[in-house]
Amino acid sequence: MTAIILDGIVLGLQFGLLAAGFTLVYGLGGVLNLAYGQMAVISAMVILFSMNAGVSAIPAVGIGLVAGGLLGLIFDQTILRPIYRRHGEARVLLSLLLTLGVAFIVDGFLNWRYPTAGLTVGIDGGPIEILGVPMRRGSIVGSVIILVVFALLLVFFRGTSLGRAVRSVIEDEEGARLVGIDPSLMLRIILILSGVLAAVVAVTQSMVRPVTVTVGFSITVLALIVTVVGGLGSVTGAFLAGLILGVISSFATARIGTFLSLIILLVAAAITILIRPSGLLGVKE
Amino acid sequence: MLEVREVAAGYQGNDVIHDISFHVDEGEAVMIIGSNGAGKTTLFRAMCGLSVPSSGVVMFDGEEVTGHPAQRMVRNGLAFVPAERHLFPRMTVQENLSLGSYPKRPDQETISVVFALFPRLSERRRQHAGTLSGGEQQMLAVGRALMSRPRLLVLDEPTTGLAPKLAHQAYEALTVLRRQGLTLLIAEQQVPLAMAFSDRGYVLENGVISLEGTSEALAADPRVRSAYLGVT
Repeated sequence: MTAIILDGIVLGLQFGLLAAGFTLVYGLGGVLNLAYGQMAVISAMVILFSMNAGVSAIPAVGIGLVAGGLLGLIFDQTILRPIYRRHGEARVLLSLLLTLGVAFIVDGFLNWRYPTAGLTVGIDGGPIEILGVPMRRGSIVGSVIILVVFALLLVFFRGTSLGRAVRSVIEDEEGARLVGIDPSLMLRIILILSGVLAAVVAVTQSMVRPVTVTVGFSITVLALIVTVVGGLGSVTGAFLAGLILGVISSFATARIGTFLSLIILLVAAAITILIRPSGLLGVKE
Repeated sequence: MLEVREVAAGYQGNDVIHDISFHVDEGEAVMIIGSNGAGKTTLFRAMCGLSVPSSGVVMFDGEEVTGHPAQRMVRNGLAFVPAERHLFPRMTVQENLSLGSYPKRPDQETISVVFALFPRLSERRRQHAGTLSGGEQQMLAVGRALMSRPRLLVLDEPTTGLAPKLAHQAYEALTVLRRQGLTLLIAEQQVPLAMAFSDRGYVLENGVISLEGTSEALAADPRVRSAYLGVT
């Protein structure tokens, strides 16, 4: 029982992190980035190739984070340009199509050129015992990194004027413009942040299992489910939803079987939409 | 200070207002009166950078600012309070005010000016903006605009949805601001209040300016008296 809950929390932190970068971009810009998982995979490959080229793990991870941020910036400057010119539903639909296209291209290319590549960031040492349950060291290190990242996000959004400015655009874009905030600049900052978060996803996942070139879509799908449950545009919502779904998924895997856990997550998301259409902490329209 | 020349604007290619020209001089309080749908909001949005005029020129402080986005206008000293207020509902009163001076840090002096003007905001500073009453939200919208230390404050129907007593209080606060040297431009349906407050005014009807003059002259005009002051 304790083991299942602890596993669920570890998994849930991963889920929450997955959703954080995804939900921010949707909350701020109305852009559903279906290539989000591929951003994580590209960062993973950058780290892998750096390590293969002889860079040691920690600087390689640093390079991967920079690459993630750069990817976000490139997204903002290229395929998101035509998307920003649309509004409302047209923007969501166009963002679905264009980012899905990018995802297919990235997936196709990586599968063709590097079909067997997989990033594993090994954490040395045996299991760590928590509440009498031996936990893999990689899971614990990954969880600690995720907690630190969430703490930093919280400080950024609550405690800095730039973070407040970003939140104000999520709250009311016109209101933000009226106080002198340029929404497109805030969106660029959030795209960069989302790219860095995708890279952190790649790093923490690679501590538990190899991040291969094929995991892009499953990352995106999970991010989408957690975002729906947590509420669009809410980092805290993503964190809470991640934990809840992580524990649910862990129970489902242990009691029923792995094959059903994704379906059970979908059911949980569907129930959330029925009860609270804007998610746990989402902006009410 | 502000000069609008032959401005036309509307939505999706259909102009709602045509050939609008008016000006506001430094230190003045000017009103634009008109009934619902006359085009006051369309005019203000185009003038303050929330939309782009389809033709015409807007000058502010002797410089052309036509089509400049709202975020640039407010940094240049023109603050706009729309009728819908556009506050940040899930942020506290304090946070809303702090964002008003973005990107500069909110200076204590301006905050105390706002709190002196609206003591209610000081009492509710830790409350979320979305939980305030209509009157308090209007105070916060004006307070947030003041945080940018504007030279011209543009208000679209500041008394919308307010009870008569609160509407009076709103104009009392605006009178204090005037005395402190702020230039004001107000669109209003509550014509008697605006008329008592302002120096000059323009009447906007069906998208064009049909009358203009000092507030006294407008108050004496039979058309204004019958259409907006309820005097027959």
